[in-house]
Amino acid sequence: MSQVFHEIEKKIITSLRDNPKQSPETLEKSTQLSPDQIRRGIEWLRLKDLAVVTESKSSTISLGKNGIESFQKGLPERKLLDLLKSGPKKLSDLQKELGFVFGPSMGLARKNNWVEAISDQVSIKNPPSELPGEKTLNLIGENKISKDKVDLNDLSSLLKRPDFIIEDIIKSKEISLSDSAKSIILSDSSGEIDVEAKVPEIFVARTHPLKDTIDEIREIFVTLGFSEILGNMTQSSFWNFDSLFTPQDHPARELQDTFYLEKINAKKIGTPEQIRKVSESHKKNWRYQWDINEARKMVLRTHTTCVTIKHLAETKPDEARIFSLGRVFRNEKVSYKHLVEFNQIEGVVVGKDASLRNLMGIQREFYKRIGITKIKFWPTFFPYTEPSLQTMVYNEKLGKWIELFGMGIFRPEVTKPLGINKPVLAWGGGIERIAMLKYDLDDVREFYNNNLDWLRSTTKCQ
Amino acid sequence: MPVVELSYSRLQKLVGKVTKKQIADTLPFLGLDIESENKDLVRIEYSPNRPDYSTDFGIALGLQGLLGIKTGLVKLNVKKSNKYPIGVKSTVSKIRPFVTGIVAKNGKIDDKTIKQLMTMQEDLHFGIGRKRKKSSIGIHDLDKISFPLIYTTTSRDHKFIPLNSEKELTISEILTNTDVGKDYGSLLGQSSKVPLILDENEKTVSFPPIINAAVTTVTTKTKNLFVEVTGINKEDAEDMLSVVATILQTAGFSLESVKISGAKNSAPKLEQKKISVNSSLINQILGLNLTTSKIISSLKKSRLDASSKGANIVCTIPPYRFDIFGPMDLVEEVALGYGIQNLEPTISPSQTIGQINPISIQLKSLDQTMIGLGFLESLNSSLTSKRVLYEMTNRDSSKIISVLDSKSQEHTILRDSILPGLLENLSRNIHETYPQKMFETGTVFTLENPISEKINFSGISAHKDANFTEIKSVLQSALKIGFGINIETKTITNPTFEEGHCASVILDKIPIGIIGKIDSKIIENYKIRVPVVGFEISLSESILKNQK
Repeated sequence: MSQVFHEIEKKIITSLRDNPKQSPETLEKSTQLSPDQIRRGIEWLRLKDLAVVTESKSSTISLGKNGIESFQKGLPERKLLDLLKSGPKKLSDLQKELGFVFGPSMGLARKNNWVEAISDQVSIKNPPSELPGEKTLNLIGENKISKDKVDLNDLSSLLKRPDFIIEDIIKSKEISLSDSAKSIILSDSSGEIDVEAKVPEIFVARTHPLKDTIDEIREIFVTLGFSEILGNMTQSSFWNFDSLFTPQDHPARELQDTFYLEKINAKKIGTPEQIRKVSESHKKNWRYQWDINEARKMVLRTHTTCVTIKHLAETKPDEARIFSLGRVFRNEKVSYKHLVEFNQIEGVVVGKDASLRNLMGIQREFYKRIGITKIKFWPTFFPYTEPSLQTMVYNEKLGKWIELFGMGIFRPEVTKPLGINKPVLAWGGGIERIAMLKYDLDDVREFYNNNLDWLRSTTKCQ
Repeated sequence: MPVVELSYSRLQKLVGKVTKKQIADTLPFLGLDIESENKDLVRIEYSPNRPDYSTDFGIALGLQGLLGIKTGLVKLNVKKSNKYPIGVKSTVSKIRPFVTGIVAKNGKIDDKTIKQLMTMQEDLHFGIGRKRKKSSIGIHDLDKISFPLIYTTTSRDHKFIPLNSEKELTISEILTNTDVGKDYGSLLGQSSKVPLILDENEKTVSFPPIINAAVTTVTTKTKNLFVEVTGINKEDAEDMLSVVATILQTAGFSLESVKISGAKNSAPKLEQKKISVNSSLINQILGLNLTTSKIISSLKKSRLDASSKGANIVCTIPPYRFDIFGPMDLVEEVALGYGIQNLEPTISPSQTIGQINPISIQLKSLDQTMIGLGFLESLNSSLTSKRVLYEMTNRDSSKIISVLDSKSQEHTILRDSILPGLLENLSRNIHETYPQKMFETGTVFTLENPISEKINFSGISAHKDANFTEIKSVLQSALKIGFGINIETKTITNPTFEEGHCASVILDKIPIGIIGKIDSKIIENYKIRVPVVGFEISLSESILKNQK
């Protein structure tokens, strides 16, 4: 196999063949390349398993300020011994001569039995000809030398003293060729590059994977003839519940399922006629005292259906296909399968085409476009639709049927009080569930962790 | 959704000639979800609008219909009797004004039946009884009671031995010391008098809606039952009674009526009702072309009776099907009886032209521009925490919007700004490669009539050379390319940003947001080790257009 090499790589390989172990600095000299070129070249060769980089540490030592002084004038304990050469001396005289180094020198000399002190008379006892540290001091002198050359035992007595020894740790690299590099043939042709080499990873900027799924679903429904409407996430209970025939004492309206906004009530919730007719429908069918103050309580919408029904109550269309898409909220404990805030799409069909089979057909078409073909429909119950169905889709990975979108026809008890006279087919469901299938996630929280590792590496799903 | 546990073998006995597989395949088409199975046992989720499915007896009726084993309406056969009078005192009218009841005789009760009846009672209490507030049931051993009964009130020092107790307790003790007392005592308010059912010998039968007396406990030796339902309105109490009566009759009991009088009370009617539905409405809604006889046979499979009268189908509905309000409910009954699996999905050519909302289009275009500038999109919750929104970033928290009783500490207030969430994102990614550049567009909330929702746009850049100039260039280009607008910046100070590196973003002389270098103390709070610059502007007021 012939490999193409960059000029830099060729020069490094050639140089290493002449001189098998080199530091980057010697390579710079031998190849006439810049430090940066050498660094890059070594890295390329290393990634191709052609060069081996061995890192090592070495130390040099030199003398500090006090070390140099002692080198020039002798160690303090040497000065003490010199003073005693001429015979015993008084402690107080020695103290005067030596100044502040007297204490430590005297201590050291007595501990080692170099001197003897009887009452206040100090005399020489048994000193070695060369004191510990003197050999090292003389060896280093005013130079910088490798630590390897020093007797470490002798050095240790100096290391404890302040500003005597300066140690520099130098990291060095040694580059050599790997076995596979030895047989490589370097061609002379220039201008070619190694197109087989690994390249560094760069991170793309992108839209959020969940947003991609949201956009995809939005576009599918637009191509099916639906138009998008937007609405608020904060809604009065009137539009979130009452207008959808959910009685005020229904368990779904309790604090433990729905987020109520603290001390916030809507002033205007609907037209007087809407309020009157909705309340009458509740009183007649659910038999309780409907309370407008309950309807004024502001909630975080529990579904996007409130947006759609409000739109229908305002426009009362004879024919329409509309949808709304956005965040909805449930007061749940966050877990791998539940979020307090998630996205929902919800749409309606109004008009002569509005039949249950057509609604099923729209669902089937939608699932087909997101790649789900094994589906079936089961009856279910929603407070505001009748008949009501749910789609079950088969998940190959889990080996079971899972529930996706719900659908049904708005009850006359919902539509009539709001002046909507045509049948309204509605469908909808959570988006994260579909996105989890697409991105093969087991934990729905991943979508909102904004973990860069995941965002930067997840493949787009089309 | 409530769940009921059943056994396949018991269901097979109740339904008739049927295999386990047929049952399992048919259950979903009654609207019942199989939650889990373990050999003979199966747990089934049913809809709260069908309390008759709270026992295997009720589910068996539904299965018989769909499988064609027995179809048509289940008629209640109630023998008229004078032996069971109940008198009602007017004192109950202020607390729990209505009582109704029925007698069920000569049934066999095994452990499983007792368990089914108890679950049914609990589910009825929770669902249509609205946690016993609207109506509640007591089921008693008839032979332990001497009629006539009296439904009256008593004071809180009245004593009797309640269910599951060995000694006498006063009403007050029951309310403070027992679990049911604690759970439901509040339904009685502060009233000094509480409702009570006494028998001929002044023996306590029941203390509605809290607990029965121990003496009438139903066991496997019980043969005859007395069922009472009390409530705040007559219709709801009778609805609940009709479910229990139907289930008991299906379980093999013979029903006998009770006589009720006094304080606007009367014996339950348990009447069937009739609703007409036009066959063309059925066919239009379902998208089918069914003949009248097919419609009638489908309704019968849903355990209703029906006959044709011209184009109209006249349906007879048993009293326990009070979930049926009008014609549209009958359309569903036809669909169920016909079989949802037999409805073939169709697609009709759409006559409407679909359109993405202009706001969505503009936001998507902004996303694309930001990606071109090298920014990654982030998504954060709009319901966030005080810590993220205010504490970590030194922001003013005086106009906070909180939700009540959140189950999650991380989700308690609505965001009024996006940038703090992005900072939080950076802090969770300090081990990832820099530069880190992120943006988000989303809804922010402020207190205003009562709440205003606006769309904000925020971006953030973190790396060792991040600086004001870089982030201003980004915002300037994004707005120029995205919307063709030019912004200016004017020096201001803000606690989130570093002094001298912070400016107000101005569009046509109006401030629309803020830009700058994040204050080093905040960066430290988040343990981020590189400088961070960012901006946040409002798009709603002057940038996004509602119509293109």
